Parts: sequence; C-alpha cells; structure tokens
Amino acid sequence: MYQYTDFDRRFVHQRAAQYRDQLTRNLAGALSDDDFRPLRLQNGWYIQRHAPMLRVAVPYGELSSRQLRTLARIAREFDRGYGHFTTRQNLQYNWIPLVKSADVMERLAEVDMHGIQTSGNCIRNITSDALAGVAPDEVVDPRPYCEILRQWSTLHPEFAFLPRKFKIAVTGATEDRAAIAWHDIGLQLLRNADGEVGFRVLVGGGMGRTPINGVVVREFLPWDQILVFIEAIVRVYNRYGRRDNMYKARIKILVKAEGQKFIDAVEKEYQDILTLDTDGDAQVIPQAELDRVSACFVLPEGVAARPAAGDGAPADAPPAYRKWLERNVHGHKLAGYRAVTLSLKRAGQAPGDATDAQMDLAADLADRYSHGELRVTHDQNLLLPWVREEDLHGLWLAARAASFATPNIGLLTDMIACPGGDFCGLANARSIPVAAELNERFDDIALLDDIGDIDLHISGCINSCGHHHSGHIGILGVDKDGAEWYQLTLGGSDGNAYGGGIAGATPGKVIGPSFAADEVVDAVEAVVETYRGVRVADERFIDTVKRVGLEPFKIAANAVRRSTAREAA
Amino acid sequence: MKFVDPRHDCPRDPWHTVGGEDGPMVTITPDAYLLLTLPQWHSVRATWPAAKPVGVIVPNDVAIEDLAPDLPQLALVALQFPKWTDGRAYSQARLLKRRYRYTGEVRATGDVLVDMVPLLARTGFDVAVLRHDQSPEAAANTLTHFAAHYQADVTEHRPLFARQGASA
Repeated sequence: MYQYTDFDRRFVHQRAAQYRDQLTRNLAGALSDDDFRPLRLQNGWYIQRHAPMLRVAVPYGELSSRQLRTLARIAREFDRGYGHFTTRQNLQYNWIPLVKSADVMERLAEVDMHGIQTSGNCIRNITSDALAGVAPDEVVDPRPYCEILRQWSTLHPEFAFLPRKFKIAVTGATEDRAAIAWHDIGLQLLRNADGEVGFRVLVGGGMGRTPINGVVVREFLPWDQILVFIEAIVRVYNRYGRRDNMYKARIKILVKAEGQKFIDAVEKEYQDILTLDTDGDAQVIPQAELDRVSACFVLPEGVAARPAAGDGAPADAPPAYRKWLERNVHGHKLAGYRAVTLSLKRAGQAPGDATDAQMDLAADLADRYSHGELRVTHDQNLLLPWVREEDLHGLWLAARAASFATPNIGLLTDMIACPGGDFCGLANARSIPVAAELNERFDDIALLDDIGDIDLHISGCINSCGHHHSGHIGILGVDKDGAEWYQLTLGGSDGNAYGGGIAGATPGKVIGPSFAADEVVDAVEAVVETYRGVRVADERFIDTVKRVGLEPFKIAANAVRRSTAREAA
Repeated sequence: MKFVDPRHDCPRDPWHTVGGEDGPMVTITPDAYLLLTLPQWHSVRATWPAAKPVGVIVPNDVAIEDLAPDLPQLALVALQFPKWTDGRAYSQARLLKRRYRYTGEVRATGDVLVDMVPLLARTGFDVAVLRHDQSPEAAANTLTHFAAHYQADVTEHRPLFARQGASA
C-alpha cells in the first residue's frame, strides 16, 4: 500500500482544518448555505433525504485494517452503525449530523483518509482494478500511477470548478475490471513492442442519460507524459465543455459533438504545454518519482512465491467450502497465494453495506490472513489480496462466522445497487427493497449456480450510480406520477470477457415499458427462466441474450405484468 | 495577492470603466487607468498612447489566445466569474501567465468569494475584487491553510516531486 509521507499527512490535516473553518463560518452565518454547498461537496458532504451523506475516499480501493477500524468507529460513534461501499470503491455514511462533520474529517485524517473531491464538479477519486498488484493477467501494476494521479489531481487549482464531475479509472490488466470505457478518462497501462510502458487513453465515456463508451485518443502515450496529457484534456474540457445545461455538461457530450476536432485540440494543447509554457515540462514524471512511489507497492514483508498448497481443504471439507473456493477465491500472480472476496451481498443487508462490527471483523480477517490489507471492489465487496493457500480453509470458517462467505461472487445476488430512494435525494425509486426481494427470490445457491455468471445492476435513477446500463440485467428506477416504476434493460456489459464495445463496455437495451414495483422481480425471474430454457450447453446469460435477441425475454417479461398489462399490450 | 473591497476600496482603486460595461459604445478619450470592454479596446488599440495604462475586461468564454498580440499594451486584464462555480477564468489566468508570460495585473471580478482565493492565487491572479459581502480579512485567512501543494502552479512551477528532488 501507499505509505503516507509527512507531507501527505500534514496535507490531509490542513484540509480538515480548512474544512472546519468553512463549517464554522457557515454555522455562524458568515458563509451562506448556497456558497458553502460546493465547498462541502468537495469534501464529500452531501445533504441527503434524512441527513448529510459523507463519501470517504478510498483511493483506488486500497484500505488498511487500521483505516477500516477507524471507519467502523466513525460508523459507531457518529452514524447509526453502518456504512455503504460504492462502485467507485468509496465508503458512504448516511446519518452524520453536519455539525459533527469537521470532527469526522479530523478522525479520518488521523488514519490518512479524507473526503477530498469525492463529490463536486472536479476530478474525483481515481478508481482501479481491485486485483491491482495481484492479478495473474496484470501487464503493469496500475497503483503507482494511480497514486501519482491522485497527488496531481488533489486540490488542482485550475480544475476545481469544471463544467461537471470528472472521473478517471485505470487498469493494468488484460481483463478490464475497472470499467474504464465508462469513465471521463479511461487509462489502460500496456507495454509496446519494445517493452516500454505507456497508456492507452480513452476519453468521453459515461453513463447517465447518455450511456456511451469513451473513444481512444491515444493508442500509446509514454507513461511519463500522463500528467501533461491529462492536463491538456481537462483544460480543453474546462474551457469548452458546456455549462448551459447540466445534463449536457459531461466531457462525453463535448467529445461526441466535436469528434476529431476535440482530439486535435487536446493534441495541440499537449504540445503547447510542452513547447510554449514556462517550465511546461515540469509535470513530466521523472523515473526517480515513479521509483519512489513504486517502492510502496512492493510485496508486503514476508510475502514471496511459495510451493502450491492446493486449496487448503481437509479431506472432509463440505460442499459449501468447494462452492466458496469456486466463486469467492481468485487466482494470484504469486504461486501459493490467492485473492479472496468477502461478499457484502447477503440476505438482510443492502448490497455493499457493512455494519461497524462487520468492518471490525473484516479488519481482523485482513490482519490474520492478508497482511492487514484490503480492497474495495467495483462490485461493492471487500477483497483480501494476500491470502496463503494453506490458510484458505481457516479463512473460510472465519469469514462464514462473520457473514462474509456467501459463495455468490459473479452470480445474480452479487448485484450492484445504489442506495436508492431510501437515502438518496436524487433517486426516483428505491433500490434496496428490489435488491432484498431479489435476494429472497433467488436464495437457493444451487439455482444461482445453475443460472451462472451474470451481472445484475440496479440504479434508483438515471444518474446511474448503480451502473444499470452495464448490467447483463439492468434495473432502472423511474418516477411516474409519484409512484415507483422500474425499467428493465438487457445485454449491457463490463469487461473484455463479456465482449461488446471497448473493453467490453456495452449499454443494455430497454425491453418495453416500465414495470410496477410489485412486478419487477417477477419480470427478472421470467427473464432468467427464459434464459434457462433457451440456452445451449453452458452458454452464459449474456451470450444467450446476444444470440437470441431481446424478443423472447420481452415476451416472457410482459407475461408477468399485472398492473401494467394494458399499457404494454 | 491583493484584495479590493468594493465597499471601501473603490475610491482608492484607480481603475474605472467607460459608459458601463454593457452600455452603448461611447467615444473613448485615452486616459490613465481606463478599464475597457473588448469591443471598446478593439476600437482604440491601434492609437492608444503607451503612457496611459489601460486595462481590458475579458469574458470567460473568450479564447485568451486572441488577446496575446495585445498583451504588451495592457496593464490590466480583468477576468470574470459570472458565477463563482464557473471555473473557466482559472484556465484563462493560467494561460496568460505561463503561456503568454503576461507581466501585467490579472484581476478576478464578478462573483468572487473569499474561498476562491487559494485557487486564484495559484492560477495567476494578482488581485481579487471581492463580492460586496466578502471580507478582505477572511480572504487573507484562506491563504494560511496549506503550507504547500502537490502539483505545479503559476507561482510554484515545480511539482512536489521536483521540489523534493531538488532538496534531496
């Protein structure tokens, strides 16, 4: 993990002090609520349905057990005893009173954490592959580059008030587990024929009302140029992005409208920085800086390739353990090691939620089995990156006792869901009750297994925090006449393994009018049953949808309509 | 960084506009410390006497490149924040200072809050004309929070990694 320097540590404390000053002026009436709003947002403080929501940055998803214990303590002492892990690898609280917000920022700073740029129209927390540094298919470890980008983007004075939010994702593996094509900037680290490291640069991806993949603006940018090149992209966006209509303000709209002209403008700006500006090359990254940062991302002490120990299972290991090995345990670049997902998808809790006690238990597991290190995954789970094979069985027993061992990773109930209308002020409909009903409907692990690999994503509104566009099955909450309705989409995808657009990213297609709240889970079931009926051999859900098209699914889903029957006919 | 408090400083601040920023075109007689709109400036720039300091008000959607040839004549460029959350003028200021090496004064005008001051200072603004309800003392205080930053900016051309490299 990245180790904070004295500078880094002072910086987050200074940020906490700056925030306290702003809060104090707001509470004293010297800083109006309207003017305070953008300032608190850039520290992660939203005002939501019930109370402020705090989004804490977990840079590129890396978390230490010490940090997680502090997050648990904050949940216990300031919130109602739980938090929510997000698709952007962050953690959200829902019940902290604003008057306590500066105290929380100080608590976070004590463990090198903060809420810097987790909201607002600025460069957001950078996300990456949850298996960064341990994935067998990794070409280049993205974490040092993520950290350098984190530092560069932190309180960048020119780019704090962009037309709209700006998200960057980085992957260094063959399989894209960071959904880079859906981001304002997607970066794929690769090696050229000479073995040199560089970035494939995508710009203009996004979800929301206009789901669209980023376009490749550079096939290979030498790694040391990345800060200069991104500065060029963001400056062109800051100057020319639309500000007249919030729904047309993301960079994707500019890229789509201008096409090659946009790319030419970025290339010219990039050249101008290097050739015209005073010290224009100052942000070219020296090898020494990459080396300094990379030194934080070496193997943890005591970790080295080991003789393979198999799966650590005793001869009489139960089938449930086998199931867990199959679904929750992942390959590792180091012989004798595995990465293990702690599932945050289980009956009785919202997807991605963890109580303070569960966070403490996860921290204990990280200490015992993973050198004190965890990751937050894009799929809203936790992951232990450094598990020895011979520890797997012991870890399974402990994870099961702590409610983390549901063997459902990659299966239907491993769904992504935003907090939805229960918490979020933007949502049109609730996500959590739909997730809960799906959990009840699909509670048979043998059935889930038979359905196999499937991504089900739920968003409570078109802002798409639950990534419904990229779900093989997507559920979108919509509001009609004050009631909750749900639109179903099929055939969306993330990741190369599922094919489709750039890095596998494909938006799903809507199958007919919205379903009523009491129909939507029936409709999902009808879609799933249709798949089980028409699939050939061990064809995955997404492949069946691609092969047979939407029609059979549409017919099956329409057949379960009750209240919406007339409308769909 | 200097702050102009419109409540108290206006009598002392020598810069003044001609006929209002949005008013009709008027005949401009060269005078020291005139702050002109772009159309006004374009009408007089060919004959403006070098001895009389002149400034121009640049809207935030103007390509700052187009102003580059005029910069040697200009003592002041006033950039605008129609809303304080519209960040285009930060890029304009940064380009003026680091690309076009403008040595005159760059001012922030419009909806200028004290909490923008750390950003203004780092992107090349010399003066902030504060919104009527903002206090210069609070503005100065906002500059005290951070000892240093990560990335390069207009006042510190070296990012943290280059500074550390130099001191190591």
